[in-house]
Amino acid sequence: MPKRLLEFRDRTAIAGVGYTPFSKDSGVSTLTLACRAVLAAVEDAGLSPGEVDGLATHRVGDSAPPTLVGPALGLGDLSWHLDQFGGGSVSHAVVGQAALAVAAGLAETVVCYRAINARSEFRMGGTGRGVPVSPEVQYQAPYGYVAPPQQFAMYARAHMLRYGTRAEHFGALAVIQRANAAKNPRALMRTPITLDDYLASRWIAEPFRLLDCCLETDGACAVVVTTAERARSLRRPPVLVSAAAWGGGTSHLSCDDPTVTGAAGLAPRLYAQAGLGPGDIDVAQLYDCFTYSVIVQLEDYGFCPKGEGGPYVASGATALDGELPVNTHGGFLSEGYVHGVNHIAEAVSQLRGEAGDRQVPGAEVALSTAQPGYVLPATSALILRRA
Amino acid sequence: MPGYRPQPDRDSLGWWERVARRQFAVQECGACGTLRFPPRAFCAACRTEGWNWREVAPEGKVESWIVNRRPFVPGLGDPYLVVMVRLTPVPGCLMYGNWRAERPPEPGERVRGVFTQVDEALTVLDWMPESFIPARPAENPAAG
Repeated sequence: MPKRLLEFRDRTAIAGVGYTPFSKDSGVSTLTLACRAVLAAVEDAGLSPGEVDGLATHRVGDSAPPTLVGPALGLGDLSWHLDQFGGGSVSHAVVGQAALAVAAGLAETVVCYRAINARSEFRMGGTGRGVPVSPEVQYQAPYGYVAPPQQFAMYARAHMLRYGTRAEHFGALAVIQRANAAKNPRALMRTPITLDDYLASRWIAEPFRLLDCCLETDGACAVVVTTAERARSLRRPPVLVSAAAWGGGTSHLSCDDPTVTGAAGLAPRLYAQAGLGPGDIDVAQLYDCFTYSVIVQLEDYGFCPKGEGGPYVASGATALDGELPVNTHGGFLSEGYVHGVNHIAEAVSQLRGEAGDRQVPGAEVALSTAQPGYVLPATSALILRRA
Repeated sequence: MPGYRPQPDRDSLGWWERVARRQFAVQECGACGTLRFPPRAFCAACRTEGWNWREVAPEGKVESWIVNRRPFVPGLGDPYLVVMVRLTPVPGCLMYGNWRAERPPEPGERVRGVFTQVDEALTVLDWMPESFIPARPAENPAAG
């Protein structure tokens, strides 16, 4: 690890979070959603919009960039902005980049947001808007193999074949996250489910059923990144950015082992940066585009041995009262799909002690992760800490 | 299988042209001899540009598969099976294709690529159990 990275630890903080309601049809543009979430996050931090001097987002051509949001909110002279191309694998890199910009003094108050009409307008990987812009699509699309549920199902079966992971393991995870969502007023899906409900849900792409798959959601979420020093003087308890890491992953056309993700390479750097290990994590918000992506991350972030993610979940370890509560908001599977930013915001709520009925008692350190690096070789993650 | 059609680019055009002629070729680095897929200008092993096409056996092992049950691609409503194959002659490389057998694959099953002519303009590579392939190579001749 570069020595100077140590100077990054806990230098910056998340000082505010903001949401729009989650729905199946927002009825408004992604620009409107973005503006609402940005203003809500700024309000939460106790700042005025005029104090924002940086904006950052990630998108796949489906949302409003900072160059639209800035002028729309009258933020005329942004000293830093980022329009990051990419899906869930870069969601946490955006906040990491913002923290770097703040730590470097390029900006003082950066709002990171993701606004998405994923249900009513742009259905990712679906039939409406064609395939993602990557030349590698030509080696899969002719076979009717284009959508994320298909691709993650392919990796899930590889894991099942290699380690004996079973449908009941995936189901246990879906059941646990739904139970968490039942305690989250913001969640779209709050009716508890059973393992039988999971097993009875219709096939999407075997081995995935409907309840293996994330929701498609209209909504936006934003977080305010500023210096730790400044955050301490603001309205909310500051949540420090202890570590931010980027990593590689698995090209879908070349890898030695598709059951190991980029998270396995990133995790040691991330933990070293924070000076912490998996045993120090009190609560984890792990990117759950599908049930399987959580199971493989539990292994690759070191919470259980390789291949044992399924039994680990089925043991109840990731439930709200387990040794490592995971996706306490319900995750993409049950709260809503805002492409990673709602995972960061939930981590902040937990560390502030503001998560209501789903609060993990005494939570001081949280891990929040992006898509672990399948399909496109990139991933990212944050370790956040109560100040 | 209809649905999306490949859009060859300046790196891949030669590969698709060979598939259309029922040839299975990958790139061979001119400097270090490393075989690679998909087609691209640089060798990732030695970072040089010179290369040539090298015909190799379309052989591999089943690493995973899905049975698609939703119409993710327009016109493809019925269940179909997509297989992930680890290429035997090209280390580290994975390919996909539709499964050309009435039964599902077996884990680690040895498979062989077969060419499927979708229409006059498009031929794709699919996979079938190696045990299905007759011993005589003439069964799957190169066109033209």
